[in-house]
Amino acid sequence: MSASQSAVRSRAEAVKVSRTFDWLILFTLFFVILGGYHVHFMLTGGDWDFWTDWKDRRLWVTVLPIVGITFPAAVQSVLWWRYRLPFGAVVAVLGLLFGEWVNRYFNFWGWTYFPVNFVFPSNFMPGAIVLDVILMLSNSMQLTAVLGGLGYGLLFYPGNWPIIAPLHVPVEYNGMMMTLADLQGYHYVRTGTPEYIRMVEKGTLRTFGKDVAPVSAFFSGFVSIIIYFLWHFFGKWFGSTAFTQST
Amino acid sequence: MAATTESVKADAAEAPLLNKRNLVFAVAIYCVFYAWVRWYEGVYGWSAGLDSFAPEFETYWMNFLYIEFVLEVSTAGILWGYIWKTRDRKVMSITPREELRRHFTHWIWLVAYSVAIYFGASYFTEQDGTWHQTIVRDTDFTPSHVIEFYLSYPVYIITGGASLLYAKTRLPTYQNGMSLQYMVAVVGPFMILPNVGLNEWGHTFWFMEELFVAPLHYGFVFFGWAALGALGVLNIECQAIAKLLKKDLA
Repeated sequence: MSASQSAVRSRAEAVKVSRTFDWLILFTLFFVILGGYHVHFMLTGGDWDFWTDWKDRRLWVTVLPIVGITFPAAVQSVLWWRYRLPFGAVVAVLGLLFGEWVNRYFNFWGWTYFPVNFVFPSNFMPGAIVLDVILMLSNSMQLTAVLGGLGYGLLFYPGNWPIIAPLHVPVEYNGMMMTLADLQGYHYVRTGTPEYIRMVEKGTLRTFGKDVAPVSAFFSGFVSIIIYFLWHFFGKWFGSTAFTQST
Repeated sequence: MAATTESVKADAAEAPLLNKRNLVFAVAIYCVFYAWVRWYEGVYGWSAGLDSFAPEFETYWMNFLYIEFVLEVSTAGILWGYIWKTRDRKVMSITPREELRRHFTHWIWLVAYSVAIYFGASYFTEQDGTWHQTIVRDTDFTPSHVIEFYLSYPVYIITGGASLLYAKTRLPTYQNGMSLQYMVAVVGPFMILPNVGLNEWGHTFWFMEELFVAPLHYGFVFFGWAALGALGVLNIECQAIAKLLKKDLA
């Protein structure tokens, strides 16, 4: 091809082409990231996210931020460090939430008839916004990992509290004390019913009494810091433009 | 004057840089097809998909499986064969405008791949979680699996393969070797399909119930990460397009 030839007829066309590519890229990235993030998330933290009777004060709070900070960190490592776009974490989390909500409505409710207030997804938006804002303001991967990662873990429970609180109120049912979420679970028996797989409130974190959730959140934030570092570098590797040469 | 008129006519007759009709068609075809599939699941999942020993299961689900196998192999053969057969043997000598046009067509393929990935990895995979936590399986070929593993996964594999093949056969950017991350983005999600072997083996030997976070499923997770290879493709494409437009945008 000739270097003197131009691909476009005018500057106006060049701008239009550039904007069109922006939209194509955003659409594609949104749905590809959604697919990868969702399959990762549903198979590492999914059951804690599917059912309200899994949304306890310990493992839900601990596991989900740890497995959830992965893709936001990876996407940030390309969108911010290559293009200075400060919304990598939010795009990833919005994608995840879109995939989850569509599924919970059309499949969990629409195919297997679980009520939506039993299967709504967890909210990651506060943590994602904090990750993006810290990265944008500091321009530092380390600060984002340490402060953002910790914030991602710590904000998860408060960010979900207004949603889950009505289902954590105690009820007495047939002489037993339980939460409304537990009661939902007993009415909708699944192969993943917590009692069936013996994953209900086990362990000694009960020793802390009312402090189970804060301790879990703090531990989750600590691990999220490490996971952020790791996935930042994963993201950098996935963003590589290397070509393999044929021998 | 006559020459100018001819030039204007030639411009007007020139194919558009982005064929919007193809773009809309690419997205719509997946959405309409999968809407029909979802309707089929809704109707025949409960009425004919609960007992794999029942004759209606054979009629509505096993026959669906056999038909989709044939159609998928045929589609992959015809589509990939067509793209390869009609490849440009002088790809390095195309004009910049033609290269830009092909980048747009390549992005239509990538958009199609993203929609196919969404339905396969997100929609039908999480759907499998709720179906198998409700209906305990008595076969590897449950209504959910017939759609998820043997339809939606092959569909995105075929689409991803076509996209990669298009780039490799028509774009100068991809002529110097093979893009590592393009391969990761296409081959990684492809590996989810062979990983079904591990999944079915484990469910057959260890437990028939569904628990989505069980370590048995971590193979899917590992290969799901490969979707991030799209970030590498994005970077390659941005470099290539910026090179084409740089002079005019300066």
